[in-house]
Amino acid sequence: MKRKFLNQLTPYYFLLPSLILMSVFIYLPVVENFYYSLFRWSAIDTTLNYIGFENYTRIFTDDLVGLSLFNNTLYAVISVIFQVFIALVLAAMLEAHLVRPFFGTLFRNILFLPSVLAISVVGVTWQLIYRPDTGLINQVLRAVGLDTLTRTWLGEEGTAIYSIIAVSQWQWVGYCMILFIVAIQAIPEELFESARIDGANAVQQFFRITVPLVRETTLVMTTITVIGAFKVFDIIWVMTAGGPNHASEVLGNYLYRVAFRNDEMGYAAALATLLFVITFLLTFIQLWLGRTGKEN
Amino acid sequence: MKTAKSHLFSSDLNEKLNRALIYFLFFVLSFVALYPLLWVATNSFKTDLQLFENSWELPQEWHWENYAQAWKYGIAKYILNSVLVTISAVLLNALISLMAAYGLSRFQFRGQFVLLYFILGGLMLAPEVSLIPLFRILTTFNLYDTYFAMILPNVAFGIPFTTFLIRSYMLGIPKDFEEAAVIDGAGPFAVFWRVVVPLCRPILASAMLLDAMRVWNEFMFALTFVVDDDIKTVPLGLMSFASALREQWTVVMAGLIISAVPMIVLYLLTQRQFIRGLTAGGVKG
Repeated sequence: MKRKFLNQLTPYYFLLPSLILMSVFIYLPVVENFYYSLFRWSAIDTTLNYIGFENYTRIFTDDLVGLSLFNNTLYAVISVIFQVFIALVLAAMLEAHLVRPFFGTLFRNILFLPSVLAISVVGVTWQLIYRPDTGLINQVLRAVGLDTLTRTWLGEEGTAIYSIIAVSQWQWVGYCMILFIVAIQAIPEELFESARIDGANAVQQFFRITVPLVRETTLVMTTITVIGAFKVFDIIWVMTAGGPNHASEVLGNYLYRVAFRNDEMGYAAALATLLFVITFLLTFIQLWLGRTGKEN
Repeated sequence: MKTAKSHLFSSDLNEKLNRALIYFLFFVLSFVALYPLLWVATNSFKTDLQLFENSWELPQEWHWENYAQAWKYGIAKYILNSVLVTISAVLLNALISLMAAYGLSRFQFRGQFVLLYFILGGLMLAPEVSLIPLFRILTTFNLYDTYFAMILPNVAFGIPFTTFLIRSYMLGIPKDFEEAAVIDGAGPFAVFWRVVVPLCRPILASAMLLDAMRVWNEFMFALTFVVDDDIKTVPLGLMSFASALREQWTVVMAGLIISAVPMIVLYLLTQRQFIRGLTAGGVKG
């Protein structure tokens, strides 16, 4: 029996199903994606015409790629402000000793709720709220006499991307807050107590104890948020599909449109490679920062 | 004596004031978080005319027929499809990830670290990068526009995180129980199934919940790999539902509420397992 247990192949049997599925549905496609990006082809006529790196040189001359990456960056910056900085401040407030546990739990659960909703529920809900005529926002603005501020929020080039980014903050700030709460709860309570005895006020406790001690969580949250902002697709597709006139285009959305609407599969594959490189670099930066953080 | 007392009093007052300010702030934030849903919920009982006139009033009459109409118009079908896809994908992923975590945490073998990073590496890959080749693979295997086109990619992309959660948990379980079972003559598969899996139940519950939420809400694969309205899941079905009923907003709103309820109820019933999963993972889905 003992010999059977030590059979050298046993661990591989246990790993086989995951390795097969991940190879076929994740890694093989990533490699294939690079291969396909060297060809001109479409879903209807699947013949591959080799064109070398032409799809890649096209990326540099395509204004829509620049516009998409600009919107992705905007998405990343605003999301980091709300989902890292503001979420951390909110978490510290809810964990402050003067907040009663009952209210802490209550507020935490309410703010978390939007993150469990499907993206199309969120998207269609906010489409209705942003509607120019029956939408909540314009109705409220008209009711308080601010008619000049009413907009076709998702239909104007100047407001579309900001309106979508706002929805994303609405959905995710509570989620990020909970992850920070978990990190704050891991800080020994004595640290706060002795700081209070030394006369440190809440703000000083926040900057001297909370911020340094949740550094690792902050780093992880920042990278996840930034990577998330570069691979965002669904909420854009649901709310505006990148419009009006490409004003809310992001890389994931543009890639999808090129592949499945314009049927330029080769070019879309090149755009996917660009996305791969961006997420890879961001992950690499996180690992590097995390390592130097530990050495200190 | 007097000064000490007044000092106490003032810090007490200060504390009360601060508490009141924090409660007020969070009350406002809670309102912002909930009101969009409440707005949709109350308007889902109105007629379109009432919605247009004033959308924040309570309905004068409660038009339950909006819900009946939404239900008949396809929401019931989409929910059934979502239940089918979610349960299949979550169970399959749980089984595969349990096995992978067991293999990685209980054996010493050649290539162990390579395989660990092979599995965890999936966490950083954006699904968009695999999208176009996946489309081709699924077409080649005649899986395009079937339930499997949603189930299999969802399982594959779920494995890294689920395995990560279960493996960390397994590393914390003492091996005494397993050793006792081995002495009793159990082989590795019996040890896995009868000893290790039952011990992993708490993390399994959390992992499966987080996974269920991810699969239930998955949008991009469903959008790309499915066109038949009869097998669409809620996220996609809701889109065709909303565009088919373009002018009947209050029925669309009823459909939104029906689609939102299952996940809200699931979350409220299972908060503890949920938070434990998030804590163990510390990763955004």
